[in-house]
Amino acid sequence: MDIKPDKHEKMETRASRKKKSVIGFFNVCKFYGESDAIVDVSFTISKDDFALITGPSGAGKSTVIRIIYMGETISSGSVIVDGMNLLRITRPQVPLLRRKIGVIFQDFKLIPSKTVFGNVALVLEAAGVRSKNIIHDKVMSVLETVGIGDRAASYPPTLSGGEQQRVAVARAMVGEPKIILADEPTASLDPEAADAIYQLLQDVHARGTTVVVTTHDLNLLEKGGTRVIHLKSGRMVSIVNQDVWNGL
Amino acid sequence: MISYFKRALSDFIRHRFLHGVCTATIALSVFIISAFTLFFVNAGALMNTWQKGIRVIAYLEPGVNQGARKALIQRIKAFDGVEDVVFISRQKAFSWLKKEIGRQSSLLEGLEDNPLPDSLEIKISRSALNVKDIEYLASRIKTFNAVNGVEYARKWLARFKGVYDLFRITGIILVTMVFIAIMFIVANTIRLILFSRREEIEITRIIGADEEFIRNPFYIEAAMLGFLGGITGITLLFISFALSMPTISPSGILPFFTIRFIPPAAGIAIVISSVIVSWMGCYFSIRRFLHM
Ligand SMILES: Nc1ncnc2c1ncn2[C@@H]1O[C@H](COP(=O)(O)OP(=O)(O)OP(=O)(O)O)[C@@H](O)[C@H]1O
Ligand SMILES: [Mg+2]
Repeated sequence: MDIKPDKHEKMETRASRKKKSVIGFFNVCKFYGESDAIVDVSFTISKDDFALITGPSGAGKSTVIRIIYMGETISSGSVIVDGMNLLRITRPQVPLLRRKIGVIFQDFKLIPSKTVFGNVALVLEAAGVRSKNIIHDKVMSVLETVGIGDRAASYPPTLSGGEQQRVAVARAMVGEPKIILADEPTASLDPEAADAIYQLLQDVHARGTTVVVTTHDLNLLEKGGTRVIHLKSGRMVSIVNQDVWNGL
Repeated sequence: MISYFKRALSDFIRHRFLHGVCTATIALSVFIISAFTLFFVNAGALMNTWQKGIRVIAYLEPGVNQGARKALIQRIKAFDGVEDVVFISRQKAFSWLKKEIGRQSSLLEGLEDNPLPDSLEIKISRSALNVKDIEYLASRIKTFNAVNGVEYARKWLARFKGVYDLFRITGIILVTMVFIAIMFIVANTIRLILFSRREEIEITRIIGADEEFIRNPFYIEAAMLGFLGGITGITLLFISFALSMPTISPSGILPFFTIRFIPPAAGIAIVISSVIVSWMGCYFSIRRFLHM
Protein backbone atom coordinates (compact mmCIF):
# COMPACT_ATOMS: atom_id res chain seq x y z
CA MET A 1 0.00 0.00 0.00
CA ASP A 2 1.37 3.36 -0.85
CA ILE A 3 0.44 6.03 1.58
CA LYS A 4 2.56 8.96 0.66
CA PRO A 5 4.02 10.84 3.55
CA ASP A 6 2.61 14.31 4.03
CA LYS A 7 4.76 17.08 2.66
CA HIS A 8 4.19 18.94 5.86
CA GLU A 9 5.31 16.03 7.89
CA LYS A 10 8.71 16.06 6.28
CA MET A 11 9.29 19.69 7.01
CA GLU A 12 8.37 19.39 10.63
CA THR A 13 11.08 19.29 13.24
CA ARG A 14 11.47 16.16 15.27
CA ALA A 15 10.11 17.82 18.33
CA SER A 16 6.92 19.00 16.80
CA ARG A 17 6.55 15.68 15.04
CA LYS A 18 6.69 13.92 18.32
CA LYS A 19 3.78 15.88 19.58
CA LYS A 20 1.75 15.62 16.42
CA SER A 21 -1.62 14.22 17.31
CA VAL A 22 -2.94 11.56 14.97
CA ILE A 23 -6.21 11.05 16.76
CA GLY A 24 -8.20 13.83 18.34
CA PHE A 25 -11.58 13.59 20.05
CA PHE A 26 -13.23 16.91 20.82
CA ASN A 27 -16.36 16.87 22.98
CA VAL A 28 -17.56 13.71 21.33
CA CYS A 29 -20.92 12.21 22.21
CA LYS A 30 -22.48 9.06 20.87
CA PHE A 31 -26.08 8.18 21.63
CA TYR A 32 -27.95 5.03 20.81
CA GLY A 33 -31.50 6.26 21.05
CA GLU A 34 -32.00 7.14 24.68
CA SER A 35 -28.83 5.56 26.03
CA ASP A 36 -25.52 7.26 25.65
CA ALA A 37 -22.42 5.24 24.85
CA ILE A 38 -19.96 8.09 25.32
CA VAL A 39 -20.55 11.60 26.56
CA ASP A 40 -18.37 14.65 26.00
CA VAL A 41 -15.13 12.77 25.50
CA SER A 42 -12.05 14.77 24.55
CA PHE A 43 -8.49 13.53 24.20
CA THR A 44 -5.66 13.43 21.74
CA ILE A 45 -3.30 10.64 20.85
CA SER A 46 0.11 11.46 19.37
CA LYS A 47 1.92 9.68 16.65
CA ASP A 48 4.37 8.13 19.06
CA ASP A 49 1.78 7.00 21.54
CA PHE A 50 0.97 3.55 22.71
CA ALA A 51 -2.39 4.53 24.12
CA LEU A 52 -4.49 2.49 26.48
CA ILE A 53 -8.19 3.06 26.82
CA THR A 54 -9.45 1.49 29.99
CA GLY A 55 -12.62 1.27 31.94
CA PRO A 56 -15.19 -1.24 33.12
CA SER A 57 -17.55 -3.07 30.84
CA GLY A 58 -19.96 -0.71 29.11
CA ALA A 59 -17.65 2.24 29.60
CA GLY A 60 -17.61 3.02 25.90
CA LYS A 61 -14.17 1.69 24.96
CA SER A 62 -15.33 -0.24 21.91
CA THR A 63 -17.42 2.71 20.86
CA VAL A 64 -14.32 4.93 20.82
CA ILE A 65 -12.50 2.39 18.67
CA ARG A 66 -15.41 2.07 16.25
CA ILE A 67 -15.66 5.82 15.93
CA ILE A 68 -11.99 6.06 14.97
CA TYR A 69 -12.31 3.65 12.04
CA MET A 70 -15.74 5.03 11.18
CA GLY A 71 -17.57 1.87 12.04
CA GLU A 72 -19.82 4.30 13.85
CA THR A 73 -20.69 7.93 13.33
CA ILE A 74 -20.71 10.36 16.20
CA SER A 75 -23.76 12.19 17.50
CA SER A 76 -21.93 15.41 18.28
CA GLY A 77 -18.47 16.87 18.67
CA SER A 78 -15.70 16.26 16.22
CA VAL A 79 -13.04 13.70 15.56
CA ILE A 80 -9.80 14.11 13.64
CA VAL A 81 -7.88 11.08 12.46
CA ASP A 82 -4.59 11.63 10.66
CA GLY A 83 -5.65 15.10 9.66
CA MET A 84 -9.02 14.02 8.35
CA ASN A 85 -12.13 15.48 9.92
CA LEU A 86 -14.39 12.46 10.16
CA LEU A 87 -17.52 14.57 9.93
CA ARG A 88 -16.42 15.72 6.52
CA ILE A 89 -15.46 12.37 5.10
CA THR A 90 -17.68 11.22 2.28
CA ARG A 91 -18.64 7.62 1.93
CA PRO A 92 -16.21 6.84 -0.86
CA GLN A 93 -13.41 8.22 1.32
CA VAL A 94 -14.10 5.87 4.21
CA PRO A 95 -12.06 3.01 2.68
CA LEU A 96 -9.14 5.42 2.27
CA LEU A 97 -9.30 6.25 5.96
CA ARG A 98 -9.53 2.58 6.87
CA ARG A 99 -6.43 1.75 4.86
CA LYS A 100 -4.51 3.95 7.26
CA ILE A 101 -5.82 1.94 10.18
CA GLY A 102 -5.40 -1.69 11.14
CA VAL A 103 -8.00 -3.06 13.55
CA ILE A 104 -7.73 -6.01 15.91
CA PHE A 105 -10.76 -7.38 17.76
CA GLN A 106 -11.31 -9.50 20.77
CA ASP A 107 -13.08 -12.11 18.65
CA PHE A 108 -10.42 -11.95 15.90
CA LYS A 109 -12.94 -11.43 13.08
CA LEU A 110 -11.12 -13.63 10.63
CA ILE A 111 -12.89 -14.99 7.57
CA PRO A 112 -13.24 -18.71 8.25
CA SER A 113 -13.51 -19.72 4.60
CA LYS A 114 -10.21 -18.11 3.68
CA THR A 115 -6.80 -19.42 4.57
CA VAL A 116 -4.54 -17.52 6.94
CA PHE A 117 -2.70 -16.26 3.89
CA GLY A 118 -5.97 -15.29 2.18
CA ASN A 119 -7.18 -13.39 5.23
CA VAL A 120 -4.05 -11.28 5.36
CA ALA A 121 -3.74 -10.91 1.59
CA LEU A 122 -7.28 -9.55 1.39
CA VAL A 123 -6.09 -6.27 2.88
CA LEU A 124 -3.63 -5.75 0.04
CA GLU A 125 -6.09 -6.93 -2.61
CA ALA A 126 -8.70 -4.52 -1.30
CA ALA A 127 -6.13 -1.74 -1.40
CA GLY A 128 -5.63 -2.44 -5.07
CA VAL A 129 -2.28 -4.23 -5.00
CA ARG A 130 -2.15 -6.27 -8.21
CA SER A 131 1.17 -8.00 -8.13
CA LYS A 132 0.90 -11.52 -6.76
CA ASN A 133 4.57 -11.51 -5.90
CA ILE A 134 4.34 -8.37 -3.85
CA ILE A 135 1.30 -9.70 -2.05
CA HIS A 136 2.98 -13.01 -1.39
CA ASP A 137 6.16 -11.47 -0.09
CA LYS A 138 4.46 -8.95 2.15
CA VAL A 139 1.99 -11.43 3.58
CA MET A 140 4.63 -14.07 4.25
CA SER A 141 6.85 -11.47 5.81
CA VAL A 142 4.23 -10.31 8.30
CA LEU A 143 3.20 -13.88 9.02
CA GLU A 144 6.83 -14.61 9.88
CA THR A 145 6.94 -11.50 12.02
CA VAL A 146 4.00 -12.67 14.12
CA GLY A 147 5.40 -16.18 14.19
CA ILE A 148 2.92 -18.20 12.18
CA GLY A 149 4.59 -18.36 8.80
CA ASP A 150 4.15 -22.12 8.83
CA ARG A 151 0.36 -21.88 9.15
CA ALA A 152 -0.20 -19.77 6.05
CA ALA A 153 -2.25 -22.46 4.33
CA SER A 154 -4.38 -23.31 7.36
CA TYR A 155 -7.92 -22.14 7.92
CA PRO A 156 -8.58 -19.96 10.98
CA PRO A 157 -10.97 -22.39 12.70
CA THR A 158 -8.15 -24.94 12.88
CA LEU A 159 -5.93 -22.53 14.82
CA SER A 160 -5.81 -21.81 18.53
CA GLY A 161 -7.11 -18.50 19.80
CA GLY A 162 -3.59 -17.17 20.26
CA GLU A 163 -2.69 -18.14 16.72
CA GLN A 164 -5.84 -16.61 15.32
CA GLN A 165 -5.09 -13.37 17.08
CA ARG A 166 -1.59 -13.44 15.59
CA VAL A 167 -3.23 -13.70 12.18
CA ALA A 168 -5.37 -10.71 13.08
CA VAL A 169 -2.26 -8.78 14.10
CA ALA A 170 -0.61 -9.73 10.82
CA ARG A 171 -3.68 -8.59 8.95
CA ALA A 172 -3.66 -5.27 10.81
CA MET A 173 0.04 -4.78 10.05
CA VAL A 174 0.27 -5.89 6.45
CA GLY A 175 -0.98 -2.65 4.93
CA GLU A 176 1.64 -0.71 6.90
CA PRO A 177 -1.01 1.51 8.49
CA LYS A 178 -0.23 4.57 10.53
CA ILE A 179 -2.53 3.49 13.32
CA ILE A 180 -3.34 0.13 14.83
CA LEU A 181 -6.46 -0.15 16.95
CA ALA A 182 -6.90 -3.16 19.17
CA ASP A 183 -10.18 -3.65 21.00
CA GLU A 184 -9.52 -5.97 23.94
CA PRO A 185 -7.08 -7.99 21.87
CA THR A 186 -6.08 -10.26 24.72
CA ALA A 187 -9.36 -10.67 26.55
CA SER A 188 -10.17 -14.08 25.14
CA LEU A 189 -6.64 -15.46 25.35
CA ASP A 190 -4.79 -17.28 28.09
CA PRO A 191 -2.12 -15.19 29.86
CA GLU A 192 0.73 -16.63 27.85
CA ALA A 193 -0.87 -15.96 24.47
CA ALA A 194 -2.02 -12.59 25.75
CA ASP A 195 1.55 -11.66 26.63
CA ALA A 196 2.73 -12.68 23.19
CA ILE A 197 0.11 -10.56 21.47
CA TYR A 198 0.86 -7.65 23.72
CA GLN A 199 4.53 -8.00 22.90
CA LEU A 200 3.73 -7.97 19.19
CA LEU A 201 1.77 -4.76 19.61
CA GLN A 202 4.69 -3.19 21.41
CA ASP A 203 7.00 -4.28 18.59
CA VAL A 204 4.69 -2.68 16.07
CA HIS A 205 4.70 0.47 18.15
CA ALA A 206 8.46 0.41 18.35
CA ARG A 207 8.56 0.50 14.56
CA GLY A 208 6.70 3.78 14.51
CA THR A 209 3.04 2.88 14.39
CA THR A 210 0.55 4.58 16.65
CA VAL A 211 -1.14 1.90 18.71
CA VAL A 212 -4.42 2.24 20.60
CA VAL A 213 -5.45 -0.64 22.83
CA THR A 214 -8.59 -0.93 24.91
CA THR A 215 -8.66 -3.12 27.94
CA HIS A 216 -10.45 -3.65 31.19
CA ASP A 217 -7.48 -5.66 32.41
CA LEU A 218 -5.71 -3.43 34.88
CA ASN A 219 -2.69 -5.70 34.74
CA LEU A 220 -2.01 -4.42 31.28
CA LEU A 221 -1.55 -0.97 32.71
CA GLU A 222 1.51 -2.15 34.49
CA LYS A 223 3.06 -3.12 31.22
CA GLY A 224 2.97 0.49 30.29
CA GLY A 225 1.58 2.70 27.68
CA THR A 226 2.49 6.24 26.94
CA ARG A 227 -1.00 7.50 27.47
CA VAL A 228 -3.88 6.07 29.45
CA ILE A 229 -7.42 7.21 28.91
CA HIS A 230 -9.82 6.07 31.56
CA LEU A 231 -13.53 5.94 30.80
CA LYS A 232 -16.48 5.12 32.98
CA SER A 233 -20.11 4.99 31.85
CA GLY A 234 -19.17 6.80 28.69
CA ARG A 235 -17.43 9.67 30.43
CA MET A 236 -13.75 10.52 30.65
CA VAL A 237 -12.50 9.95 34.14
CA SER A 238 -8.88 10.77 33.51
CA ILE A 239 -6.21 10.99 30.89
CA VAL A 240 -2.70 10.33 32.04
CA ASN A 241 0.50 10.79 30.12
CA GLN A 242 3.45 8.52 30.43
CA ASP A 243 5.62 10.89 32.41
CA VAL A 244 2.94 11.45 34.97
CA TRP A 245 2.11 7.80 35.06
CA ASN A 246 5.67 6.78 35.70
CA GLY A 247 5.89 9.28 38.44
CA LEU A 248 2.88 7.92 40.31
CA MET B 1 -10.92 -7.42 -13.16
CA ILE B 2 -9.28 -10.84 -13.35
CA SER B 3 -9.04 -10.99 -9.59
CA TYR B 4 -12.76 -10.16 -9.37
CA PHE B 5 -13.40 -13.06 -11.70
CA LYS B 6 -11.32 -15.34 -9.53
CA ARG B 7 -13.18 -14.29 -6.43
CA ALA B 8 -16.50 -14.72 -8.19
CA LEU B 9 -15.46 -18.15 -9.35
CA SER B 10 -14.38 -19.27 -5.90
CA ASP B 11 -17.66 -17.94 -4.53
CA PHE B 12 -19.44 -19.91 -7.18
CA ILE B 13 -17.75 -23.07 -6.05
CA ARG B 14 -18.38 -22.25 -2.43
CA HIS B 15 -22.10 -21.81 -2.99
CA ARG B 16 -22.33 -24.50 -5.63
CA PHE B 17 -25.56 -25.97 -4.35
CA LEU B 18 -27.35 -22.64 -4.21
CA HIS B 19 -25.92 -21.66 -7.56
CA GLY B 20 -26.81 -25.04 -9.00
CA VAL B 21 -30.43 -24.64 -8.00
CA CYS B 22 -30.46 -21.08 -9.28
CA THR B 23 -28.88 -22.05 -12.60
CA ALA B 24 -31.37 -24.88 -13.03
CA THR B 25 -34.28 -22.53 -12.38
CA ILE B 26 -32.94 -20.00 -14.85
CA ALA B 27 -32.35 -22.81 -17.35
CA LEU B 28 -35.96 -23.87 -17.01
CA SER B 29 -37.14 -20.28 -17.49
CA VAL B 30 -34.92 -19.81 -20.51
CA PHE B 31 -36.20 -23.13 -21.83
CA ILE B 32 -39.74 -21.76 -21.66
CA ILE B 33 -38.71 -18.49 -23.26
CA SER B 34 -36.83 -20.11 -26.09
CA ALA B 35 -39.61 -22.66 -26.64
CA PHE B 36 -41.94 -19.72 -27.14
CA THR B 37 -39.44 -18.12 -29.44
CA LEU B 38 -39.17 -21.35 -31.38
CA PHE B 39 -42.91 -21.42 -31.81
CA PHE B 40 -43.13 -17.80 -32.95
CA VAL B 41 -40.18 -17.95 -35.26
CA ASN B 42 -41.73 -20.92 -37.01
CA ALA B 43 -45.30 -19.66 -36.97
CA GLY B 44 -44.02 -16.39 -38.41
CA ALA B 45 -42.05 -18.18 -41.09
CA LEU B 46 -45.05 -20.30 -41.91
CA MET B 47 -47.24 -17.24 -42.24
CA ASN B 48 -44.67 -15.67 -44.45
CA THR B 49 -44.55 -18.59 -46.83
CA TRP B 50 -48.32 -18.60 -46.91
CA GLN B 51 -48.51 -14.93 -47.51
CA LYS B 52 -45.94 -15.11 -50.23
CA GLY B 53 -48.06 -17.80 -51.77
CA ILE B 54 -51.15 -15.67 -51.83
CA ARG B 55 -52.16 -15.23 -55.34
CA VAL B 56 -55.48 -14.64 -56.85
CA ILE B 57 -56.11 -17.16 -59.58
CA ALA B 58 -58.55 -16.13 -62.27
CA TYR B 59 -59.83 -19.06 -64.30
CA LEU B 60 -60.62 -18.07 -67.84
CA GLU B 61 -63.65 -19.07 -69.90
CA PRO B 62 -62.72 -21.62 -72.50
CA GLY B 63 -61.87 -20.16 -75.87
CA VAL B 64 -60.73 -16.70 -74.89
CA ASN B 65 -58.40 -15.62 -77.64
CA GLN B 66 -54.96 -14.19 -77.26
CA GLY B 67 -55.94 -10.60 -77.99
CA ALA B 68 -58.73 -10.56 -75.44
CA ARG B 69 -56.42 -12.22 -72.97
CA LYS B 70 -53.70 -9.60 -73.38
CA ALA B 71 -56.20 -6.82 -72.95
CA LEU B 72 -57.54 -8.48 -69.81
CA ILE B 73 -54.02 -8.84 -68.39
CA GLN B 74 -53.34 -5.16 -69.00
CA ARG B 75 -56.53 -4.13 -67.22
CA ILE B 76 -55.89 -6.36 -64.25
CA LYS B 77 -52.34 -5.08 -63.99
CA ALA B 78 -53.74 -1.58 -63.68
CA PHE B 79 -55.50 -2.44 -60.40
CA ASP B 80 -54.00 -1.28 -57.14
CA GLY B 81 -52.04 -3.92 -55.32
CA VAL B 82 -51.39 -6.08 -58.35
CA GLU B 83 -47.75 -6.77 -58.82
CA ASP B 84 -47.75 -9.07 -61.76
CA VAL B 85 -50.06 -11.16 -63.86
CA VAL B 86 -48.84 -14.36 -65.43
CA PHE B 87 -50.75 -16.42 -67.94
CA ILE B 88 -50.77 -20.12 -67.17
CA SER B 89 -51.93 -22.20 -70.04
CA ARG B 90 -54.02 -25.25 -69.29
CA GLN B 91 -51.21 -27.46 -70.64
CA LYS B 92 -48.70 -25.91 -68.29
CA ALA B 93 -51.07 -26.23 -65.37
CA PHE B 94 -51.60 -29.88 -66.19
CA SER B 95 -47.89 -30.63 -66.34
CA TRP B 96 -47.37 -28.91 -62.97
CA LEU B 97 -50.16 -30.88 -61.50
CA LYS B 98 -48.54 -34.07 -62.72
CA LYS B 99 -45.25 -33.06 -61.26
CA GLU B 100 -46.73 -32.09 -57.93
CA ILE B 101 -48.64 -35.28 -57.58
CA GLY B 102 -45.49 -37.08 -58.60
CA ARG B 103 -45.42 -40.70 -57.64
CA GLN B 104 -49.10 -40.75 -57.19
CA SER B 105 -49.58 -39.79 -60.85
CA SER B 106 -51.46 -43.00 -61.26
CA LEU B 107 -54.33 -40.94 -59.96
CA LEU B 108 -54.24 -39.00 -63.19
CA GLU B 109 -54.00 -42.01 -65.42
CA GLY B 110 -57.72 -42.26 -65.72
CA LEU B 111 -57.84 -38.75 -67.10
CA GLU B 112 -57.52 -38.71 -70.83
CA ASP B 113 -58.24 -35.03 -71.22
CA ASN B 114 -56.72 -32.16 -69.41
CA PRO B 115 -59.46 -31.06 -67.03
CA LEU B 116 -57.84 -27.72 -66.20
CA PRO B 117 -58.80 -24.38 -67.66
CA ASP B 118 -56.41 -21.60 -68.73
CA SER B 119 -55.76 -19.26 -65.86
CA LEU B 120 -54.12 -16.02 -64.83
CA GLU B 121 -51.96 -15.99 -61.76
CA ILE B 122 -52.21 -12.57 -60.15
CA LYS B 123 -49.43 -11.77 -57.71
CA ILE B 124 -50.38 -9.37 -54.97
CA SER B 125 -47.89 -6.77 -53.86
CA ARG B 126 -46.90 -7.11 -50.21
CA SER B 127 -48.45 -3.84 -49.19
CA ALA B 128 -51.84 -4.98 -50.32
CA LEU B 129 -51.66 -8.21 -48.44
CA ASN B 130 -54.76 -8.04 -46.35
CA VAL B 131 -57.87 -10.01 -46.65
CA LYS B 132 -60.22 -7.13 -47.36
CA ASP B 133 -58.16 -5.78 -50.23
CA ILE B 134 -57.81 -9.19 -51.73
CA GLU B 135 -61.52 -9.82 -51.46
CA TYR B 136 -62.23 -6.52 -53.15
CA LEU B 137 -59.72 -7.22 -55.90
CA ALA B 138 -61.14 -10.66 -56.51
CA SER B 139 -64.66 -9.30 -56.79
CA ARG B 140 -63.51 -6.76 -59.36
CA ILE B 141 -61.72 -9.38 -61.43
CA LYS B 142 -64.76 -11.60 -61.33
CA THR B 143 -66.76 -8.99 -63.20
CA PHE B 144 -64.81 -9.47 -66.42
CA ASN B 145 -66.63 -11.56 -68.97
CA ALA B 146 -63.59 -13.60 -69.85
CA VAL B 147 -63.22 -14.67 -66.24
CA ASN B 148 -65.06 -17.72 -65.22
CA GLY B 149 -64.13 -17.84 -61.59
CA VAL B 150 -61.71 -16.51 -59.01
CA GLU B 151 -59.91 -18.35 -56.28
CA TYR B 152 -57.81 -16.99 -53.43
CA ALA B 153 -56.70 -17.78 -49.95
CA ARG B 154 -59.72 -17.44 -47.83
CA LYS B 155 -60.63 -16.29 -44.41
CA TRP B 156 -58.62 -18.95 -42.65
CA LEU B 157 -55.52 -16.97 -43.38
CA ALA B 158 -56.94 -13.91 -41.70
CA ARG B 159 -58.07 -16.05 -38.85
CA PHE B 160 -54.69 -17.64 -38.54
CA LYS B 161 -53.10 -14.23 -38.50
CA GLY B 162 -55.54 -13.10 -35.82
CA VAL B 163 -54.72 -16.09 -33.67
CA TYR B 164 -51.04 -15.62 -34.34
CA ASP B 165 -51.19 -11.96 -33.28
CA LEU B 166 -53.08 -12.85 -30.13
CA PHE B 167 -50.55 -15.54 -29.34
CA ARG B 168 -47.79 -13.11 -29.95
CA ILE B 169 -49.12 -10.59 -27.46
CA THR B 170 -49.61 -13.24 -24.79
CA GLY B 171 -46.22 -14.61 -25.73
CA ILE B 172 -44.52 -11.29 -25.24
CA ILE B 173 -46.24 -10.82 -21.89
CA LEU B 174 -45.31 -14.32 -20.83
CA VAL B 175 -41.70 -13.99 -21.90
CA THR B 176 -41.47 -10.67 -20.05
CA MET B 177 -42.91 -12.29 -16.95
CA VAL B 178 -40.47 -15.19 -17.15
CA PHE B 179 -37.58 -12.73 -17.49
CA ILE B 180 -38.85 -10.89 -14.43
CA ALA B 181 -39.02 -14.24 -12.67
CA ILE B 182 -35.36 -14.80 -13.55
CA MET B 183 -34.57 -11.41 -12.07
CA PHE B 184 -36.28 -12.36 -8.82
CA ILE B 185 -34.57 -15.72 -8.71
CA VAL B 186 -31.15 -14.13 -9.06
CA ALA B 187 -32.02 -11.30 -6.67
CA ASN B 188 -33.05 -13.87 -4.11
CA THR B 189 -29.96 -16.01 -4.61
CA ILE B 190 -27.70 -13.01 -4.23
CA ARG B 191 -29.68 -11.91 -1.20
CA LEU B 192 -29.14 -15.28 0.42
CA ILE B 193 -25.41 -15.09 -0.27
CA LEU B 194 -25.19 -11.52 1.01
CA PHE B 195 -27.01 -12.61 4.11
CA SER B 196 -24.85 -15.64 4.73
CA ARG B 197 -21.76 -13.52 4.25
CA ARG B 198 -22.70 -10.31 5.99
CA GLU B 199 -19.98 -10.74 8.60
CA GLU B 200 -17.37 -11.43 5.99
CA ILE B 201 -18.52 -8.37 4.05
CA GLU B 202 -18.36 -6.28 7.21
CA ILE B 203 -14.81 -7.48 7.89
CA THR B 204 -13.81 -6.74 4.31
CA ARG B 205 -15.12 -3.22 4.76
CA ILE B 206 -13.24 -2.69 8.00
CA ILE B 207 -9.95 -3.64 6.39
CA GLY B 208 -10.45 -0.88 3.82
CA ALA B 209 -12.21 -2.43 0.85
CA ASP B 210 -14.32 -0.07 -1.19
CA GLU B 211 -17.83 -0.90 -2.29
CA GLU B 212 -16.71 -1.78 -5.78
CA PHE B 213 -14.34 -4.38 -4.44
CA ILE B 214 -17.16 -5.91 -2.46
CA ARG B 215 -19.85 -5.70 -5.12
CA ASN B 216 -18.10 -6.62 -8.34
CA PRO B 217 -17.73 -10.32 -7.60
CA PHE B 218 -21.46 -10.49 -6.94
CA TYR B 219 -22.22 -8.86 -10.27
CA ILE B 220 -19.92 -11.29 -12.00
CA GLU B 221 -21.55 -14.17 -10.15
CA ALA B 222 -24.99 -13.01 -11.18
CA ALA B 223 -23.91 -12.61 -14.79
CA MET B 224 -22.42 -16.09 -14.67
CA LEU B 225 -25.70 -17.45 -13.34
CA GLY B 226 -27.61 -15.78 -16.16
CA PHE B 227 -25.13 -16.99 -18.74
CA LEU B 228 -24.96 -20.58 -17.52
CA GLY B 229 -28.72 -20.77 -17.07
CA GLY B 230 -29.29 -19.26 -20.50
CA ILE B 231 -26.92 -21.60 -22.28
CA THR B 232 -28.28 -24.62 -20.41
CA GLY B 233 -31.88 -23.69 -21.17
CA ILE B 234 -31.24 -23.27 -24.87
CA THR B 235 -29.19 -26.43 -25.01
CA LEU B 236 -32.03 -28.31 -23.32
CA LEU B 237 -34.45 -26.97 -25.88
CA PHE B 238 -32.12 -27.91 -28.68
CA ILE B 239 -31.81 -31.44 -27.37
CA SER B 240 -35.54 -31.86 -27.00
CA PHE B 241 -36.00 -30.28 -30.42
CA ALA B 242 -33.52 -32.63 -32.03
CA LEU B 243 -35.12 -35.60 -30.31
CA SER B 244 -38.68 -34.72 -31.16
CA MET B 245 -38.19 -33.41 -34.70
CA PRO B 246 -38.12 -36.78 -36.43
CA THR B 247 -41.45 -37.63 -34.85
CA ILE B 248 -43.12 -34.38 -35.85
CA SER B 249 -41.71 -33.74 -39.26
CA PRO B 250 -42.90 -36.54 -41.48
CA SER B 251 -46.33 -36.64 -39.96
CA GLY B 252 -47.56 -34.56 -42.81
CA ILE B 253 -49.18 -31.79 -40.83
CA LEU B 254 -47.06 -29.28 -42.66
CA PRO B 255 -45.73 -31.03 -45.72
CA PHE B 256 -43.98 -28.13 -47.39
CA PHE B 257 -42.61 -26.54 -44.29
CA THR B 258 -39.60 -27.56 -42.26
CA ILE B 259 -39.64 -26.53 -38.62
CA ARG B 260 -36.38 -24.86 -37.81
CA PHE B 261 -34.60 -24.24 -34.53
CA ILE B 262 -34.42 -20.64 -33.28
CA PRO B 263 -31.87 -18.67 -35.28
CA PRO B 264 -28.48 -18.14 -33.61
CA ALA B 265 -29.13 -14.41 -33.26
CA ALA B 266 -32.29 -15.08 -31.27
CA GLY B 267 -30.45 -17.60 -29.11
CA ILE B 268 -27.68 -15.11 -28.42
CA ALA B 269 -30.25 -12.41 -27.68
CA ILE B 270 -31.98 -14.68 -25.16
CA VAL B 271 -28.71 -15.51 -23.40
CA ILE B 272 -27.70 -11.84 -23.32
CA SER B 273 -31.10 -10.88 -21.95
CA SER B 274 -30.78 -13.57 -19.32
CA VAL B 275 -27.39 -12.16 -18.33
CA ILE B 276 -28.71 -8.59 -18.21
CA VAL B 277 -31.78 -9.55 -16.22
CA SER B 278 -29.64 -11.52 -13.75
CA TRP B 279 -27.35 -8.56 -13.41
CA MET B 280 -30.37 -6.39 -12.64
CA GLY B 281 -31.56 -8.85 -10.02
CA CYS B 282 -28.15 -8.62 -8.41
CA TYR B 283 -28.27 -4.85 -8.61
CA PHE B 284 -31.57 -4.70 -6.75
CA SER B 285 -30.39 -7.06 -4.02
CA ILE B 286 -27.20 -5.10 -3.57
CA ARG B 287 -29.09 -1.83 -3.47
CA ARG B 288 -31.40 -3.21 -0.86
CA PHE B 289 -29.20 -5.37 1.32
CA LEU B 290 -25.68 -4.05 0.99
CA HIS B 291 -26.07 -0.63 2.52
CA MET B 292 -23.43 0.55 4.90
N1 LIG C 1 -25.23 -0.77 18.77
C1 LIG C 1 -25.58 -0.35 19.99
N2 LIG C 1 -26.87 -0.09 20.27
C2 LIG C 1 -27.24 0.34 21.48
N3 LIG C 1 -26.40 0.54 22.48
C3 LIG C 1 -25.10 0.29 22.28
C4 LIG C 1 -24.62 -0.17 21.02
N4 LIG C 1 -23.28 -0.32 21.12
C5 LIG C 1 -22.95 0.03 22.37
N5 LIG C 1 -24.03 0.39 23.06
C6 LIG C 1 -24.03 0.85 24.46
O1 LIG C 1 -23.03 1.80 24.60
C7 LIG C 1 -22.36 1.63 25.83
C8 LIG C 1 -20.88 1.49 25.60
O2 LIG C 1 -20.63 0.30 24.85
P1 LIG C 1 -19.18 -0.21 24.48
O3 LIG C 1 -19.32 -1.46 23.71
O4 LIG C 1 -18.45 0.90 23.85
O5 LIG C 1 -18.57 -0.53 25.89
P2 LIG C 1 -17.18 -1.23 26.23
O6 LIG C 1 -16.46 -0.27 27.11
O7 LIG C 1 -16.51 -1.65 24.99
O8 LIG C 1 -17.63 -2.47 27.06
P3 LIG C 1 -16.98 -3.92 27.10
O9 LIG C 1 -15.82 -3.84 28.00
O10 LIG C 1 -18.06 -4.78 27.67
O11 LIG C 1 -16.63 -4.27 25.69
C9 LIG C 1 -22.94 0.41 26.49
O12 LIG C 1 -23.86 0.85 27.48
C10 LIG C 1 -23.70 -0.27 25.40
O13 LIG C 1 -24.85 -0.87 25.90
MG1 LIG D 1 -16.00 -3.53 24.12
